Amino acid sequence: MGNLVWHEYSRYVSVTASVYAVWASFFGLLYRKYFWDFVGGTFRDPGGIQPGPNSAIFIMLIVKAPVIQILSMILGLFLLALEFPLPPLKGLALHRSIVLRIVLLLFQVFLNILYYQGTNAAIWSLIAAICYTRAQMLGETMAEAKNNRGKGGSA
Amino acid sequence: MGLKSWFHAEFLVPRRLAFNVIFYGLHFFFFGYGWYSQFTNQKLAALNGLQFSVWTSRGAGLVLAFDGGLILLPMLRNVIRVVRPKVTWLFPADENIWFHRQVAYSMAFWAMVHTTAHYVNFINVERTQVRKQSALDIHYTQPGGITGHFMLLIMLLMYTTAHHKVRAQCFEAFWYTHHLAFFFMLGLYTHATGCFVRDSVDPDYIPSFPFYSTEHCLGYLSWRFIIWPGILYFGERMWREYRSRRATRLSKVLVHPSGAMELRIIKPSFKYTAGQWLFIMVPEISGWQWHPFTITSAPEDPYVSIHIRQVGDWTRGLGERLGVGPQVVAAMTQSAMKGIEKDEKGDGSRGDFVELDSGAGAITLPAVRLDGPYGAPAEDVFDNQVAVLIGAGIGVTPFASILKHIWYRQKRGNVGSLKRVEFFWVCRDAPSFGWFQSLLQEVEAVQADPNFLRINVYLTQKIDENMLWNIAVNDAGAEYDPLTLLRSRTMFGRPDWNSIFAQMRQAIEAGQYIPGATSQLKTKVGTYFCGPSVLAKAIKDATTKNSGASVQFSFAKEHF
Repeated sequence: MGNLVWHEYSRYVSVTASVYAVWASFFGLLYRKYFWDFVGGTFRDPGGIQPGPNSAIFIMLIVKAPVIQILSMILGLFLLALEFPLPPLKGLALHRSIVLRIVLLLFQVFLNILYYQGTNAAIWSLIAAICYTRAQMLGETMAEAKNNRGKGGSA
Repeated sequence: MGLKSWFHAEFLVPRRLAFNVIFYGLHFFFFGYGWYSQFTNQKLAALNGLQFSVWTSRGAGLVLAFDGGLILLPMLRNVIRVVRPKVTWLFPADENIWFHRQVAYSMAFWAMVHTTAHYVNFINVERTQVRKQSALDIHYTQPGGITGHFMLLIMLLMYTTAHHKVRAQCFEAFWYTHHLAFFFMLGLYTHATGCFVRDSVDPDYIPSFPFYSTEHCLGYLSWRFIIWPGILYFGERMWREYRSRRATRLSKVLVHPSGAMELRIIKPSFKYTAGQWLFIMVPEISGWQWHPFTITSAPEDPYVSIHIRQVGDWTRGLGERLGVGPQVVAAMTQSAMKGIEKDEKGDGSRGDFVELDSGAGAITLPAVRLDGPYGAPAEDVFDNQVAVLIGAGIGVTPFASILKHIWYRQKRGNVGSLKRVEFFWVCRDAPSFGWFQSLLQEVEAVQADPNFLRINVYLTQKIDENMLWNIAVNDAGAEYDPLTLLRSRTMFGRPDWNSIFAQMRQAIEAGQYIPGATSQLKTKVGTYFCGPSVLAKAIKDATTKNSGASVQFSFAKEHF
């Protein structure tokens, strides 16, 4: 199977999933809905599903105040900054940590699975996390970024 | 790339501008039409209560249907091969992969618009109860929602593995994942089943095909139009499968001292023209991997030949299977690089190839399958008065076939309107392409008119002092060039394309270049290039810069 460098591939999945997460959380601010509200919820016409008392905490964090969406957006943006990477992060050892990405992506899965718009972002983040895990298992390491690369004239 | 040069490339080049206007114009037209027809449809008044989100989703849906119909068109390789000689003036048929990518990018964008709009639609359906359903019902229990989410997932996998870095690292990952397109297309064609857009309360199903009544189910029915490229593509894949199974025999394997294996294959049903390429599959190595190679034989040859250097997994596997494993070849390549065998023979040849003996019983030649041929711009060489053939590195391979073909046609006295051929070969280390040199020697040797074919070899590698002296001593007064053993002299360093084309233009305008040509007629000079894209750009710039009233330079690039 060729010489697929898993962490380089995972980066593309991770970027795609994070962009989706940021976009989803933005719409999550406008149309707030707890994804799992049908568990114990009742159906009403009009009005749709009315969440049951067991999901009160999530209604608080998603519908009343969009805390989950805001956290998801921040996390998504941070992942993007880490993946591209943002120049201040470029030289850091943090930038080259695969484990950090796996952890952050799993956080992203957890946050995005909670609200209505985030399900696909959650599934895609999970795929990215699995791919990074594979890279970690294969013992791949990320090369240190060259400082002057890609900056014409300053080299 | 700066903003200015981006703007120039996209809007100030007439062909690209035309493409942008037509391609994106059609997209916005379909979006507008989809929006408008939803907005004005009285039967769908209930759905129009959802306002902007439903108008957007319907518009974007129609655009996506259009893209879904386009995306397979550039992949109809056999259809393109047949139509390309007739349509090259209209659009660059060889840039089919580029077009495929443009459609894919557009598809990603409109998928985002469409999906976002539907997320808003469904949450509002649930809240207002226009239909007695919850949002998650529509997302995850109805055909439209299920196929939609699956298509998005497939797109994630297909787009990420199609990145050029992934393709370079592991082509298989790209190749196998891209076959998810089959399920993607199924999803696309069935995305609007289930009578999703309707003016009735419940879906109006009927027992006969297509299982919904068009009286109440008011989708765009776009699948009726866009399914045809899909059927055509599927048919083409079946045809390719059949064609590859027709009688094919690997008749000879020659190993050249430089390490290249030459496979000579006999397949009577295989018809091609010079400069085309093919896919080869060796079932014993992998039943799934089809590898593209340039055909190096001329159509007049009784066999189809390809030259393979052992550089990847598959090619090494093939070498192993044929009994010329990497070690054997590595030794040969090493000696060829050093130019050892050159001294052993006085007649100025590069040493002979070794034919693998299939009669001795030690090695049986494996079965092979061929798929092709597929087109390449170099077919049109004979329509020009002057052909400039430029090969860089391994990019010379298509020109082997073309030069051979020119040689055959010269013998028959039929070279079309072709008056002169300029052949440029830019490479780092000439000796490693020994097989090509022997071909060049053959072609050069039979030239009756010394002006018809000019061979220019440029060596770009750094030369150490010993080599420099060696060249200086051997070159003076010798009939053959010490490095390439050709009559033409090797030049060192990178060629200056601008001055080359400028000189050629001056010579043509002065009437010195082509014997008997009058300057009133416009001279067509076709430039054919195969190699890295950086070089391609430099050459293309040189051709456009030097085109004038009396000389027209055209440029075509081969793709791998």
